[in-house]
Amino acid sequence: MSERHKVDARGAYCPGPLMELIATLRHCAIGDEVEMWSTDTGSATDIPAWVKKARHELVGVSQEGDHWAIIVRKAH
Amino acid sequence: MAGLPLYVLLCSGEHEKVQMAAMIASVGAVSDRPVEVFVSMGALAIFAKAAPAEGRYHGGAFARLMREKGAPDALNLLHQGRELGELKVWACSMALDLHGWEVDDLVEGMFDGALGLTSFLSDAESGQLVTL
Repeated sequence: MSERHKVDARGAYCPGPLMELIATLRHCAIGDEVEMWSTDTGSATDIPAWVKKARHELVGVSQEGDHWAIIVRKAH
Repeated sequence: MAGLPLYVLLCSGEHEKVQMAAMIASVGAVSDRPVEVFVSMGALAIFAKAAPAEGRYHGGAFARLMREKGAPDALNLLHQGRELGELKVWACSMALDLHGWEVDDLVEGMFDGALGLTSFLSDAESGQLVTL
């Protein structure tokens, strides 16, 4: 059964949120999701770009109040 | 398939440039690009084991802003890049000689060894070279 891992990177600046996401994905099982919260504006475009390049799956990107919520599924 | 190798020649000890080098190297390494960083000239002192945690970095107004706002620490970024991707860091043998240092005098777990500029430039022919 896949899990969703939450990472609160609010307040961290580029490329901190991306590095936290990658470190978390590393310890996840295939099919698990990571929900990343970030106040770094670049994360909304940089993280999806990295997800595409790394061939994982972008589940969603949305602005939630003061932060971006980016959900990524580990594909391999 | 790994992307085009990236070679970063870091000469400046200015915080803004060290930060940019660390950002390029770490993001490149986690984006499936083999990365090698060659640290020379004034940049080497930033990596001295004996450098104080406070006051390791020197720079201009933007460096102050990075410290005030808590931007990621450049050395931590490089450590993360090494842990999460294919990132090698080399200390310039000439800069080590001038300081009278060995690789052991530099921050632990950061360097793959000492290297000469000729070897680094020769390796860099296979990829993209960024100088800071």
